[in-house]
Amino acid sequence: MENTMKFEKVSFGKRVKSMLKVDFRRMFKSKLFYILIACALVMPILMTVMMSMMDGSVSTNPQTGEETVMQGPENAWQNIGTLPGEPLGGDEIFMMCNINMAFMGVAVFVCLFISDDFRSGYAKNLFTVRAKRGEYVVSKTVSGFICGAFMLIAYLLGSVLGGAMAGLSFDLHGLGAGNIVMCMLAKIFLMLVFVPIFTLISVAAKQKAWLSICGSLGGGMLLFMMVSMITPLGSTILNVVLCAAGGAMFAFGLGAASNMVLKKTSMV
Amino acid sequence: MNAVEIKNLSKNFGPKQAVCGLNMTVPMGAIYGFIGENGSGKSTTEKMICGLIPTSGGSIKLYGKDYTDESVRARMGVLIEAPGCFPGLTVFDNMMLQASNLSIPHAEQEVIKVLKTVRMEGAASNKYKNCSLGMKQRVGIAMALLGNPTLLVLDEPLNGLDADGMRIMREVFLDIIKDGKRSIIVSSHLLGELQKVATHYGIIRHGKMIVEMTADELDASCRTYVALQSAEMNRTKMLLGCHYSRVEEDEAGYIRVYDLTTPEEIVTYLYENGICVTEVGTDKIGLEEYYIDLMKGGK
Repeated sequence: MENTMKFEKVSFGKRVKSMLKVDFRRMFKSKLFYILIACALVMPILMTVMMSMMDGSVSTNPQTGEETVMQGPENAWQNIGTLPGEPLGGDEIFMMCNINMAFMGVAVFVCLFISDDFRSGYAKNLFTVRAKRGEYVVSKTVSGFICGAFMLIAYLLGSVLGGAMAGLSFDLHGLGAGNIVMCMLAKIFLMLVFVPIFTLISVAAKQKAWLSICGSLGGGMLLFMMVSMITPLGSTILNVVLCAAGGAMFAFGLGAASNMVLKKTSMV
Repeated sequence: MNAVEIKNLSKNFGPKQAVCGLNMTVPMGAIYGFIGENGSGKSTTEKMICGLIPTSGGSIKLYGKDYTDESVRARMGVLIEAPGCFPGLTVFDNMMLQASNLSIPHAEQEVIKVLKTVRMEGAASNKYKNCSLGMKQRVGIAMALLGNPTLLVLDEPLNGLDADGMRIMREVFLDIIKDGKRSIIVSSHLLGELQKVATHYGIIRHGKMIVEMTADELDASCRTYVALQSAEMNRTKMLLGCHYSRVEEDEAGYIRVYDLTTPEEIVTYLYENGICVTEVGTDKIGLEEYYIDLMKGGK
């Protein structure tokens, strides 16, 4: 009997492909993914309709007697970005609660998705047969990016539906449909800046989901205001390129950092 | 070439040294019983072999290659502490995830095959969270068997298994090593069960390997004793205690004489002292007693 064993090497591409297959299978079978997509779809509808219903109503402060007139949205696209002539960020309420909330939703998704790997013990099975950690980071980043893209599209759809239900104007104030497409593409590519941050925090926190969620939301908030500035409704190809370049840099840089964290720390 | 060759392995957790200067050799085609007290460093060593925790020093070679070599690692099966399954997914889906990780062609057939091996094919559609402890353990073993692994690392795989489950495991283990190339490292506190299949043993204490031996060497090291019962057990024990150097009463109520002697000699001695022996025979101490003796510092 020959006292040797033959071991075949699997290429990086094949390894990433099989891991993506696993992650997509998990993502599309998880309730969390559909809950987040549903939230992204329903939130703008509820917000737009309710704010429109409250438009013009007056609330009085019982202590000072000061009266405030509630101002509803005027345009359906306010959920997506700032219209020309408006200050960056738009109306006060839409400054925080707009499509950019999807970036926070993705933080929750990435953190729970990764912490689940470590909590369930799946990471043990995986990293025993996968000596290289790089493909794990690539796969999680791509999954988070896809989830983010779905959330952004769902939010856009919800905004259009909400605007139609509330009878709002769809006037683009001189902008074209191409600008909306560019704005959405820029936002989608900007996900590649956020997702690697969430991935890095999650692989460092491992099974401690609460820690990774707090860290990711905190980290995300620091960059949150940047989103509306870089991706206004009047975005052009330049915004898209800028976001794609930034996304690629963050994905490579922070991906390498995540890889290092996984290599140097315990998987159990 | 050995399946696993560990030299001077160490692992520190802060100031605590969990494994210190451990040497271990698992030949190809061996079922290696890895034994030690709780906290002796068994699981830490196994996790280092699997690359789940970084080492603090030393070297690990798997089939002659460094343990970080991806081609060797892709042919490992592991069950450490608990099976790594998602509770909300079915048994089958969990198995399919691992099959995808291993890039197994015809994954569905392979998953069904290993589930059949551990008699879990009927529970494939059950959600993992609804499985009993024993069923979960079987799923964990099935998962470790996916992809025809060359090296299996199993930490307490027999926990929670019923008698049938243990018998199946024994059959599976023996089937795996029959080609003489694939190896299994099994750590278990069920030493009686382990002794039925293990071909090699490694006993670890305080992070150091204290004994490594083959099953034959263990057999030779295990002392023979004479076990007997009589109508007057207390007097028999007292008489034998005066005449022989090591006499003990076991849990089953037999008096054991460990000195180099024969049953005939003992029966004659007792007869001469007016005691009638009702039952007598010879036996060997098992792995469990050998291990307990070793831990106590005896031979």
